[in-house]
Amino acid sequence: MHECHVTIAKAGPVAAPLLFSLTGMKSMVGNWMGMISRGIILGALLSAAPALAQGVAEKVKVCAGCHGQDGKPIDKAIPIIWGQQAGYIYIQLRDFKRGDRKNEIMQPIVASFEKNDMLAIAEYFAQKPWPNLGQPRSAKDVAQRALSAEHSVGCTGCHLEQFQGDGTVPRLAGQSRDYLAKTIADFRTRARGNNPGMTDLMRATPPDDLAALAEYLAGL
Amino acid sequence: MNRYSIACAAFVSLGFTLAASNAQEIANPDQWSPAREAKISPVTQDELNAADKSTTNFLLTNGNYAQTRFYPAKQINRDNVKNLHVAWIFQTQVKESLETSPIVVDGVMYVTTSFSHVYAIDAKTGQQLWHYAHKMGPVTTYCCGPNNRGVQVLGDKVYLATLDSKLVALNAKTGEVVWTTDIADPEQGYSETMAPTVVKDKVLIGTNGGEYGIRGFLRAYDAKTGKLVWNFDTIPENSVGVWATKDATGRDMHRDIQAEKDQLAKIGDPYKRLGGGVWQNPAVDLAANRIYFVVGNPSPDLDGSLRPGDNLYTDSLVSLDLDTGKMACHFQYIAHDVWDLDAVSPPVLVNVQDKSGKTIPGVIHAGKTGHIYVHNRKDCSLIRFSEAMVPQENMWTLPTKEGARMLPGANGGVEWSPIATDPGQALAYAINLHQPMTYRVDSSPYPNGKLWLGGAFTAIPTEKQSGNITAVNYNSGKIKWQVKTPEPMIGGILATAGGLVFAGEGNGKFAAYNSSNGKELWNFHAGAGVNAPPSSYTVGGKQYVVVGAGGNTQVNFRRGDSIVAFTLD
Repeated sequence: MHECHVTIAKAGPVAAPLLFSLTGMKSMVGNWMGMISRGIILGALLSAAPALAQGVAEKVKVCAGCHGQDGKPIDKAIPIIWGQQAGYIYIQLRDFKRGDRKNEIMQPIVASFEKNDMLAIAEYFAQKPWPNLGQPRSAKDVAQRALSAEHSVGCTGCHLEQFQGDGTVPRLAGQSRDYLAKTIADFRTRARGNNPGMTDLMRATPPDDLAALAEYLAGL
Repeated sequence: MNRYSIACAAFVSLGFTLAASNAQEIANPDQWSPAREAKISPVTQDELNAADKSTTNFLLTNGNYAQTRFYPAKQINRDNVKNLHVAWIFQTQVKESLETSPIVVDGVMYVTTSFSHVYAIDAKTGQQLWHYAHKMGPVTTYCCGPNNRGVQVLGDKVYLATLDSKLVALNAKTGEVVWTTDIADPEQGYSETMAPTVVKDKVLIGTNGGEYGIRGFLRAYDAKTGKLVWNFDTIPENSVGVWATKDATGRDMHRDIQAEKDQLAKIGDPYKRLGGGVWQNPAVDLAANRIYFVVGNPSPDLDGSLRPGDNLYTDSLVSLDLDTGKMACHFQYIAHDVWDLDAVSPPVLVNVQDKSGKTIPGVIHAGKTGHIYVHNRKDCSLIRFSEAMVPQENMWTLPTKEGARMLPGANGGVEWSPIATDPGQALAYAINLHQPMTYRVDSSPYPNGKLWLGGAFTAIPTEKQSGNITAVNYNSGKIKWQVKTPEPMIGGILATAGGLVFAGEGNGKFAAYNSSNGKELWNFHAGAGVNAPPSSYTVGGKQYVVVGAGGNTQVNFRRGDSIVAFTLD
């Protein structure tokens, strides 16, 4: 009776939206500024995955700039997408394009993507190995608090027993703690507006329990 | 929209590598299990019609078209059930929620698992014959586990409905795909977990999606070709109804009818996104050529402000003509439901006493409310409802912003778990959950196929949960006996002519009870939640009882992957 979804986006001519996003990013969060100054995105662009079909390979180049060349995002508030569920990635890309999910960086990137592009990109990243961010296992009291919240809301009804997700439901186990915490907060405020069901469930859970949940999930 | 296609590209794991699509699935599970032919004779319609009398096969999800789950063999009985022991264990290697009803044809068993796998197994030895691994599409949308509840066989085909909302016909002997039909778009919230019911060359199938703003349906597809024969929308274009203020038991539901009427004038009939899934099997009245099924909750679950009116035919018993799909009658249990206490457990056709004591064809349904409802089969009218099988408190308190406590919790009562009946004793056997919850409302607009609850129902961590098995006399509505269990119960139950009922628990216990008084006569611990409906069959002169032990996603019982068969020496 409960559930949730998320997603990413896909690519048309990636170079153009990427440049757009680079130039347009100056006013964005400090983390992004630092990233740009270090030339990480450019580096990512130059080292694409050669085995991929040309179209998709071109389109995913841009992603590594933020989500990491090795699957480890360059900022803790950016999600892991390597090894994420393909259906989830696809739906997020679709929602960025529709404007159902807001993000100043992602929306321009996905603007030109068609459905098949998004599905291909989703599948590409789903096949990648999930990276280990080396986040510590949560302390026992934190885990107990998290599991109490889980039992109350029923997270595993959708994210499944090991929090690996399936289909359009994302894997949570081992996801970046800061990203999880931010996403939970954004669901609560509806800043993340593309899954009101998740908003409902997060609002029905005490904030302290949610903090424990983010820490617990990150450490799995 | 139905896109229809015939896909002969068989994807049967004939011993070659299978790419795992989910962490709960094992890559290459069939490396040492080369496919073998399942040697069955084609299943005829006559055999299906007489399934209630078969002491060898188990042909339909709930035993027979009337869905009595009463198995007529009695080799295993009250006197000897203490000697029941494991005959074999089959491990599917799909370690997720297991809700399958094993189907047995000529000594071949067909079971399914989460993520829509099908296995054909030798019912005598437990050895694998073949395995169908459905190539799941990337988009699946479901709320309560990647479940599958089984298949049905007609002729030489096995029929399966999949999580990505496809209907698949397999060759019963080899597991090769004969045809595939797209049922609905999973991106819009549609999915399939139920077993199809196949009758008179029609494959009857509903849909999940009541938590996603779908428009529900029950459909008949041609069993030979997969072409759509008829479609019944569970939500009519005029879904308003009669502005009922009381539920089926006469309790006030505290609706603000004027506010709803004002809203209706403002937004119009909400039928297009009103939910109304059908995800349990219809019963078939062969003599009257009618089917009976229940329709689930309205979307969004807890927020009634966006859906003025009775929300027909959600939370209802519905009967259709089998040939045309035209409605014959309906009965709504809860109009304008804002608690998700909908109608889920499959209805059962039995003869019942009407209010004057006359025996008539009846249909009974066990509700999430904890009542068993007894209807006249002719017009769906309610004859009586049983004593409550679970605690009820504060009904019908409306959900609030802060969360309002009310019992039962949103899972019931009786969830999807099929009931069993023993017509000789006029008893219905139901398994129940007791989960104290708060109901919280929080309005949000339709989210394009995403989870749409309109609030949340949450278990209260400080309150103890439990379950029970309850036997109800459906001619009196009185509880005959009740066995309490330490955890909520979900999965199903089987009654037999041996004077027994069999049911499992989330802690792994699987037990046999005296069907007349509830006395426990035997039990076995399976190591994972026994949350599936048991079946029975006879092969080689020996009766077996079989059940899945794979736990449950929705209530989060310990997962496993076992099909366990029991017999006597």
